[in-house]
Amino acid sequence: MQVTDYAIIGVVAVLLGVSGFKDMARTKKALKIGAKQFWNVLPFFIAVFGLIGLLEVLLTPQQVQAWLGSSNGMLAPFYAAVFGGMATGPPAAVFPLGQYLLAQKASVAAVSTLLIAWVAVGTVTLPAEIRFFGARFAFSRWAIAFVLSIVLGLMMGWLL
Amino acid sequence: MKKFVKWSKQNWLVWAVAAAYLVLTVARPAQAARAALLSVQTFVELIATLVTVFVFVGLFQVWVTDDFVMKHLGDRSGFKGLALGAGLGTVLHGPLIGVFPLLRALLAKGAKVGVVVAIVSTWAIKLPMIPLEVRLFGWKFALLRNGLLFASAFIMAPLMNLVLGRTWVDRFRGIGDTDDPGAGSAPTVPGSGPAEAIASDIRSLA
Repeated sequence: MQVTDYAIIGVVAVLLGVSGFKDMARTKKALKIGAKQFWNVLPFFIAVFGLIGLLEVLLTPQQVQAWLGSSNGMLAPFYAAVFGGMATGPPAAVFPLGQYLLAQKASVAAVSTLLIAWVAVGTVTLPAEIRFFGARFAFSRWAIAFVLSIVLGLMMGWLL
Repeated sequence: MKKFVKWSKQNWLVWAVAAAYLVLTVARPAQAARAALLSVQTFVELIATLVTVFVFVGLFQVWVTDDFVMKHLGDRSGFKGLALGAGLGTVLHGPLIGVFPLLRALLAKGAKVGVVVAIVSTWAIKLPMIPLEVRLFGWKFALLRNGLLFASAFIMAPLMNLVLGRTWVDRFRGIGDTDDPGAGSAPTVPGSGPAEAIASDIRSLA
């Protein structure tokens, strides 16, 4: 546990207290919603942590760096966008994975791209999107989101 | 059985990782054990914060309802309409697919394409998840990433308008709001009431 952990727990505890003071029934509902959502995403989170353990054992930092390191220039965020765009899962589940990759010397651009593409691109939901909005909307949005995730990733790498 | 298939689809990674562990346990048991230990360590270190974040998610959902958002975003036209859409994208919850019916309803009610695109493009910002991002990546990273994402809505919306053209949106006007063209696979928007409320509220954007 780090200082940030205690800070987050402290702030949320205060918020919870204020919420409970203002409206107990609503607060109970909030806890119920939170618990339900946590329960829903828990398997995926466990899988992500399992994956991080696997990658840590099977891949060397050099290998991560070779693929996603800054020496790979534009290609690193591109790989990240392809993977992030294809995969789906709870938005926050990609955070621990990104942190692991960053620790293994993946570039900031690649990790930022991964985090953005994971949520924004949505290849798996394309069929549903086409049903709702038509192919033109869905494909344009998909393509723009894909490119934008790389552009934003590169900007992150440049700014940080 | 159907439920199981759906669960497996959503949690594809569970099976992939389980299979990988199985193979590794057979091939190199020592490495598998070390990987499992590392996983548990990472998990234990984060679990308290993770639980806290989801308490926050619950609080966020009961207090920042869609109606609340609509009421507090004020005047809605042009640039402000886009800002409203972009803001809405950051606070709506659930997977993107869950919001498609809502967006279609918005279009049917006369919302501008840009507003809908803005909602979709800021979808990647998960306001209640920012504490977790700060914990894992630091303030600078989290603020910058979410700031850039928010700004990108204002690039993406005009771009989509350009690609789609003026007449694209006409096909959605006046169709049944709750009409689901799909097989009903899309989950409903949390609290189906607010969807209607937003839809009628955003009408003024047209």
